[in-house]
Amino acid sequence: MTAGQRAATWGQRLAALTWKELLQLSRDVPLLLFLIYSFSLSVLVSGAGITMQLTNAELLVQDEDQSPSSRELIHRFQPPYFALAGAISDPRQGLRQLDQGRAMLVLDVPPRFHEALMSGERTAVQLLVDTTNAPQGLSAAAYTVRIAASFGTETALASAGLSGAKASMPLVSSAHRVWFNPTQDERWFQSISHLLRMITLFAVLLPAAALVREKERGTVEQLLVSPLSPFQIMFSKVLAMSGVILLATALALYGVLHPLFHVPMKGSAALFFLLTGLHVFTTAGFGLVAATLAKNQAQVAMMALFAVGPMLLLSGITSPFESMPQWVQAIMTFSPLRYYIDITYGVMLKGAGLDLLWKPVGAMLLLGGTLFGSGMWRFRRQFQ
Amino acid sequence: MMSPSASSPDVVVRVSGFVKRYKQHLAVNGLDFTVHRGEIYGLIGPDGAGKSSVMKAIAGVLGYEGGTAEVFETLLDSEQAAEQVKRRIGFLPQGLGLNLYPELSVEENIDFFAKLRLVPEADLRERKARLLAITRLDRFRSRLMKQLSGGMKQKLGLICTLIHEPELAILDEPTTGVDPVSRRDFWAILAEWQAVKGMTALVSTAYMDEAVRFHRLSFLSHGRVLAFGTPAHVQSLVPGLVVTFESTPQLEAAARLKRRYTQVESLGPSLHVFTPEQEEEAAVAGIRQALEPLPVAHLHTDEPELEDVVVALLLKEQDGQARVSERLGPSAVSATMPQFDGPAVEAKELIRDFGSFRAVDRVSFDMKQGEIFGLLGANGAGKTTVIKMLTGIVPPTGGAGRVAGADMRTAGGAIKERIGYMSQAFSLYLDLTVIENIRLFADIYGLARRQAQQRTAWIVDMAGLSGYEHDRTGRLPMGVRQRLALGCALVHSPRVLFLDEPTSGVDPIGRRRFWELLSRLAREEGVASLITTHYLSEAEHCDRLALMYAGRIVAEGTPSDLKTQVEREVGQLLEIAVDKPGAALAQVAKAGFTGAALFGTKIHVLSRDPSRDEARLREVLARVGMTIAAVRPRMLSLEDVFVSRVMALERAAHKKEAP
Repeated sequence: MTAGQRAATWGQRLAALTWKELLQLSRDVPLLLFLIYSFSLSVLVSGAGITMQLTNAELLVQDEDQSPSSRELIHRFQPPYFALAGAISDPRQGLRQLDQGRAMLVLDVPPRFHEALMSGERTAVQLLVDTTNAPQGLSAAAYTVRIAASFGTETALASAGLSGAKASMPLVSSAHRVWFNPTQDERWFQSISHLLRMITLFAVLLPAAALVREKERGTVEQLLVSPLSPFQIMFSKVLAMSGVILLATALALYGVLHPLFHVPMKGSAALFFLLTGLHVFTTAGFGLVAATLAKNQAQVAMMALFAVGPMLLLSGITSPFESMPQWVQAIMTFSPLRYYIDITYGVMLKGAGLDLLWKPVGAMLLLGGTLFGSGMWRFRRQFQ
Repeated sequence: MMSPSASSPDVVVRVSGFVKRYKQHLAVNGLDFTVHRGEIYGLIGPDGAGKSSVMKAIAGVLGYEGGTAEVFETLLDSEQAAEQVKRRIGFLPQGLGLNLYPELSVEENIDFFAKLRLVPEADLRERKARLLAITRLDRFRSRLMKQLSGGMKQKLGLICTLIHEPELAILDEPTTGVDPVSRRDFWAILAEWQAVKGMTALVSTAYMDEAVRFHRLSFLSHGRVLAFGTPAHVQSLVPGLVVTFESTPQLEAAARLKRRYTQVESLGPSLHVFTPEQEEEAAVAGIRQALEPLPVAHLHTDEPELEDVVVALLLKEQDGQARVSERLGPSAVSATMPQFDGPAVEAKELIRDFGSFRAVDRVSFDMKQGEIFGLLGANGAGKTTVIKMLTGIVPPTGGAGRVAGADMRTAGGAIKERIGYMSQAFSLYLDLTVIENIRLFADIYGLARRQAQQRTAWIVDMAGLSGYEHDRTGRLPMGVRQRLALGCALVHSPRVLFLDEPTSGVDPIGRRRFWELLSRLAREEGVASLITTHYLSEAEHCDRLALMYAGRIVAEGTPSDLKTQVEREVGQLLEIAVDKPGAALAQVAKAGFTGAALFGTKIHVLSRDPSRDEARLREVLARVGMTIAAVRPRMLSLEDVFVSRVMALERAAHKKEAP
């Protein structure tokens, strides 16, 4: 046999196995439905529904001054961030409402507020914040501080006879430009994040389940006595499942993200899909290693969740990566998702190319190769 | 029906007009039978005949759509009714050790079931000791259930079912997948519990040679009864003789015989024909006429076994169904498949260790091209490991070998291209169709498109798969799946086949067809097959056999060699017909006859001096007022050979362990 014939036979075998995987998947109707749901409706719901921004924080007001200044201040708490939930006259009423969770903030403007401001005295307002939901509470508090501060500054300037614009006082103003998401549409971030979650989950689960099923049924022995290498057996699964996941990603991208949320594709779509393929290959490595350790599909699903759970929570789509402790960041060096996040936002929103992304791409290649290699090593060993 | 009267206190189970439906599928259609107290009643029949459905309904765990099922005169028509009888019943569901807890030890499992059934402490201790002793499990009291072999698991399952001394034991295929020695232990417990405790048992089995142990039986097929009564009565339904002889060329002889007889099997060099004639002379004359002018040698006749009768009944039922094609078409042996000289398999001192455990210990054997070679042994004897080494799944720790002309150590890749492999699980993709499965393996073996098409057509024809081509494999009956698996293993025209328990779970007709295919492949195409099996009646089809025990080959030879060897050592088998077999057995055993065992209503003993022993037997039984109706010598079965060899080795190992 010549080298060319040998290569052709090798390819024929890989293609036969890959086609078999696709056929098997196409016959698994419940799984297919779940796959389609995960990349369509579930992305739609997460994009439209999940929001981290402060919205509709219920605000109770106890205005003990009833003056132009107090009304001016209260007027600055505006939707969509705040929603006025009513006025109260008894501080205990406010406390009760907080306890019951019917209000998030209670603003108390003291008597003589206007008078104090007009006469140039220092004065203060009291704000009670429910921070059970820490991020929301903290951002409500931060907004309130900003509102109070700017109201104070303006009042101070006005009392000094100056209007803010012409002030020749040493003031620092921040002139910020919003980049990459100019309308600050949070749905972009949430829908993309959810898509990445789904890609990662299926990349671990699909090939792992396919491999374990062969072990359970005993078909893997038939493959082992055939002229096939462990690489062909394992890689055909990754190949088939990557194809399916890429197709599902395209469905989410061009069926939901683009038409409904107007998420742009600033960079090259081909590059995005290529690198998504790389991410699936790398992540599948985890699943394949798990599949060589597990005895049945239930076990492999549990192990996969162990690997995927922290990856989804700690790689930077659920909470900001930079704010995590150093040691968690160090562990997450081994999470392909961490690099894939940089790549996705880079290509889709920032229009980045390989010249900017070579570092995360290199890291993923290294990680994927290592994982796949150790999966193959384990695969050979488990039967001996 | 056979029951004397409806109110007879003797009746333990009465089933009449029983109907069970699963959605559209009618599993049991109008079944009647009655089980009397103290009886071991058998349900036999192919897969899907409806045996399990009836047994589950009688155990009170499955509802039914029509007719009645009464147990202890309680009509099982509601959950409450079922609850009432459950404490008097023991039920062992189908599957090895499925009712047990893998993480508990042998003793913990037994104790758990005893506590569940509120067995008093003293009774538990006594019964446990007795049951563990008969099953020879007492040495493994503290071993975890999951570490037991399949046969041991099943024996433990039976102990847990019997620990509360149920009046009725319902055992669903308790011996399927269990090695012959464990199977004998199993029957020993049943026989003792029936004789000593007066237990009644309803048992189903796939092994026809076991069916003769039943007092009475019903033979089911497609949810109906084809025959019922004592084994002797069922046997008399299809009268005839079995004629065994040699004739050459064997293939041509078989082809000629098939034009006249429905049951023609080739067993090694012999042919085995079931004739409708009951007179020996007429039967032999008929065969000679059919064979003319081929020679006939080494001819002898036997009474038919129950299996011959069962197959005859099934064949009558399914007359006109698709049969395996009469002749193999041109096989289109692929040009790339290299022919080779020398033996098909040559194993030299093969060793395999798993940690400190030696699974295979210096195994050597040769297998010629075109030979069917059987590897026999209990679960865990090392058969599968030998096959895994020869097929390259597991590397050997020591030793050498050549498979299909290539060296095991250096040419693993070449071996894989030249062999076919089929395992007990029938490694097919159940969610692919028949054709898709064949195509997949054709591609894996690198067949070109035209070659693949030719081979696919050949396989469909050879295995009788036409009509099934586009069905999902998971929906096919077991027998068809098995032939498809064989077809897939043959897609690249291999010269050597490895078959690891290829027939477990397949019904008698399916098994016969399968063996017919194998022997044609061997004789017509020169394909060598290495096969392992638990059905020792099947091992008769092999040209040569090797018996493995504890990782070693302890006996090797043709089936008849092995039988003669053992006959020389332990004596001849005598079958005694007597009116009260249970009581007679106790007397016979007391008189010191070795290997005395009950087979249905007949007693089997081994004798070194048949004429003297027959006289002694008559004398022993006459003393207690019993008369022997007949004593006749029988050929040892391969199962007798297997059990006798393994028991001797176990005794030796036991002695060494406990000096």
